[in-house]
Amino acid sequence: MIKRVEINYRGIYQKTLARRIGSDLVLIASRLGKVAFSNGRYSDAPERDGIPCKYFVFVSPDLPEEELEAECGAKLDIDVADVSIVLDDTMVKGVEPWAWHGVRPINEKVSADGCLLVVTRREPTQLLAFIAAKPHPYRLATLEGDASLSGLWVFKDDLTHERVLGAVAAVDPGIVTIDAVADYLADEGREPRRAEAARTAHAATVQRIRPVAPDAGISWTYAIPELPAWDAFGEGVAVPGVERRSELGPGGQARNAGFPRGTTKTERPVVRFDLCTRCTLCWLECPDGCFDPTADEYYDVAYAYCTGCGKCAAVCPVKECIVMVDELRFEDTASPWAAYRRDPAAYLAWAEGKKGPERRSYAHITGTGVEVRPAPAVRARRTRKEVATR
Amino acid sequence: MTLAEKTIAYEREELLTGCQAVAQAVRLADVDVIAAYPIRPYTEVMDNLSRIIADGQLDAEYIVADSEHSQFEIVKHASSVGARAFAGSSGTGWMYGFEALVVTATDRLPVLFLVGNRALDDPGAFGVEHNDALAIRDMGWLLCWATTAQEALEHVLIGYRVAEDPRVRMPMALALDGAFLTHSQHMVRVPAAETVRRFLPPFDLGDRRLHPDNPISIAPQVNEDWVMELRRQNWEAARRARRVIEQAYREFNELFGERYGTPFFDEYMTDDAEVVLVGLGTVAMPARTAVRRLREHGHRVGYVNLRWFRPFPGPELRASLARFRAVGVIDRDFAHGSPDDGGVLLHEVRSCLYPLPERPQVLNFLTGLGGRDISIDDVTSMYEQTLAAGRGRALEPAVRWIGVREEAARGVPEERRP
Ligand code: SF4
Ligand code: SF4
Repeated sequence: MIKRVEINYRGIYQKTLARRIGSDLVLIASRLGKVAFSNGRYSDAPERDGIPCKYFVFVSPDLPEEELEAECGAKLDIDVADVSIVLDDTMVKGVEPWAWHGVRPINEKVSADGCLLVVTRREPTQLLAFIAAKPHPYRLATLEGDASLSGLWVFKDDLTHERVLGAVAAVDPGIVTIDAVADYLADEGREPRRAEAARTAHAATVQRIRPVAPDAGISWTYAIPELPAWDAFGEGVAVPGVERRSELGPGGQARNAGFPRGTTKTERPVVRFDLCTRCTLCWLECPDGCFDPTADEYYDVAYAYCTGCGKCAAVCPVKECIVMVDELRFEDTASPWAAYRRDPAAYLAWAEGKKGPERRSYAHITGTGVEVRPAPAVRARRTRKEVATR
Repeated sequence: MTLAEKTIAYEREELLTGCQAVAQAVRLADVDVIAAYPIRPYTEVMDNLSRIIADGQLDAEYIVADSEHSQFEIVKHASSVGARAFAGSSGTGWMYGFEALVVTATDRLPVLFLVGNRALDDPGAFGVEHNDALAIRDMGWLLCWATTAQEALEHVLIGYRVAEDPRVRMPMALALDGAFLTHSQHMVRVPAAETVRRFLPPFDLGDRRLHPDNPISIAPQVNEDWVMELRRQNWEAARRARRVIEQAYREFNELFGERYGTPFFDEYMTDDAEVVLVGLGTVAMPARTAVRRLREHGHRVGYVNLRWFRPFPGPELRASLARFRAVGVIDRDFAHGSPDDGGVLLHEVRSCLYPLPERPQVLNFLTGLGGRDISIDDVTSMYEQTLAAGRGRALEPAVRWIGVREEAARGVPEERRP
């Protein structure tokens, strides 16, 4: 028997966390007398900031190491997972780690009766509003917490690692047991709070496992690219360029549809067009060229291509004009400018609703925390041009 | 009392990637000079070595070079003054330093290099392919593949032992399949430092050591009147290396327990086998698993895991493979335009078999390129094809692609079809 665990994590920001969880699951399983090893989905490397990546753990109570390695080792990805861990809940919208991979459902690999274990503060029903339906039943468990994001060489020691180990024991004790997790975490003179965090998370997660019926969830809208046979594309590693196109309005700029990278983001920019001074900075500075100039000299956002880096919000000189907002508050990637043109008042109300009553700012040293302040109120403003056209 | 009874072979078990296992071995070998320049998948070796040195576990010069070429030159020079030296690389990085690699061999300096096998650019890709390491096959190098992290660790020690032997003094390349071995974490038994010291004596370059007290000049310009004799010297060294390798494994087994049956290659379930596959690296895992499963269905198949590519174990492999009706050679590399358009290993194995009066049928499988998975099913298919060839059926073509995306060559011009 083989237990397969995949750890979905944000490239760079959660690399150390994912690898620690993977290593510790192997070490704990080994202490239980099982054979185990772990590796990463190598094509995810070199990771880019926030790109969805995977780490794997394989555990078997009865197979020799070589057989386990043959079944699971020299493979790019796994076919099924007994447990899919999601370290950042915004990945429930799908993952697209590299070009030609397509946007894949987060639960793509979860086996029948396997478990999708999400670190989140949301309710399962809120998550299922983004997750693809599967033909078979599976389980969804939530571990209450924030996405623990830090830097490549930084490990944010906020007990997420210990809590996830406890939660894995809750959703599938056939991988590791909570006693084995707690014993391990109590080893080598480590502080008692570590084992306690795992036990608390275990107890909470046991209460938060729910069955997901077949066909519960959404129908997946993204096509999975089909790669051509060797003799069906051009020679010499030459790839046709993206067709040149530059028109005004939503989607007016040509972009590479083979790799939109939108699943990289944990937040997206919400623009208050009424406050915009048309200074052009967001358009000039966006590293991914996500802004489409419009005929009325605004800048629409192509959300499907936005990686959520936050640069536009950082350079926008107008207070509250661009604010980064949690990605899970959004249902689609429709043009915000078009919505604003249709009904400015409704759009502004919508934007403020999405932005919510709080603003978060992150420290310059990654992993050292976030500051939360009440949102400043800025009254709606109308540009002279618009007034004139009314 | 044997040596093994007097010593502790392995002192602890640790969870290590292939790269980390190599770094641990470099620590145990008490290497003096390390030159580093990053390229994945090798990079994790240099990362770990810098940490090992920073943690005070190894006293070594750690020099970050400005390119692979400088990196390889640095260790070559370090070796010439008597330092045990280590470097490593992957893919096109390894190729970029090629000039330095060639002169390290002609100067007969026993540096050990780790090659984390990686597809050669273009396209830029990370997965395993063996052409990078194989490129030095004719240059006077020792070249060997490890299939597990445990073997990787142990072959750094065996590698230095063989390379530095006064009868050999050749550079050594230890190849690890990128990703599948370099980046997979396994439980590895770490040898005791004391036992390693017994196995691996301090490096001594003797009267070839460059030192003010030993004034010598290395690699002066020579012309037609010297080169051929120098080549003949290196040819002899490569020939002598075979016996030195056998001796090294004997002593390794004595100190660390019976780790290795035969030095140059491992045979798996070959005793009564009708046909075998031969391969290098991690393909051994699915291959041996396929053997076990096929045997459950009564097929007499076996696997030969080739470890040493240079020196190539000609007589030994010939004697072994002569027993089978057919041999399937697995190439995780390519040799475009070569005889029958097969892979590098195919030609080595076929030429090794040629002196036999009755030769097994030989098939060649090109597979797993650029890190493409080689599944148990893929290997099973190779066994089925090799079994058929052994029974005189379906002998053509000799070279077959496994795992490439194929479909009917619709609309493809005739000249571009296979
Ligand atoms: S957050 Fe702003 S700057 Fe960054 S990719 Fe998205 S639109 Fe561009
Ligand atoms: S940076 Fe802000 S003010 Fe300037 S054009 Fe963009 S949205 Fe408008």
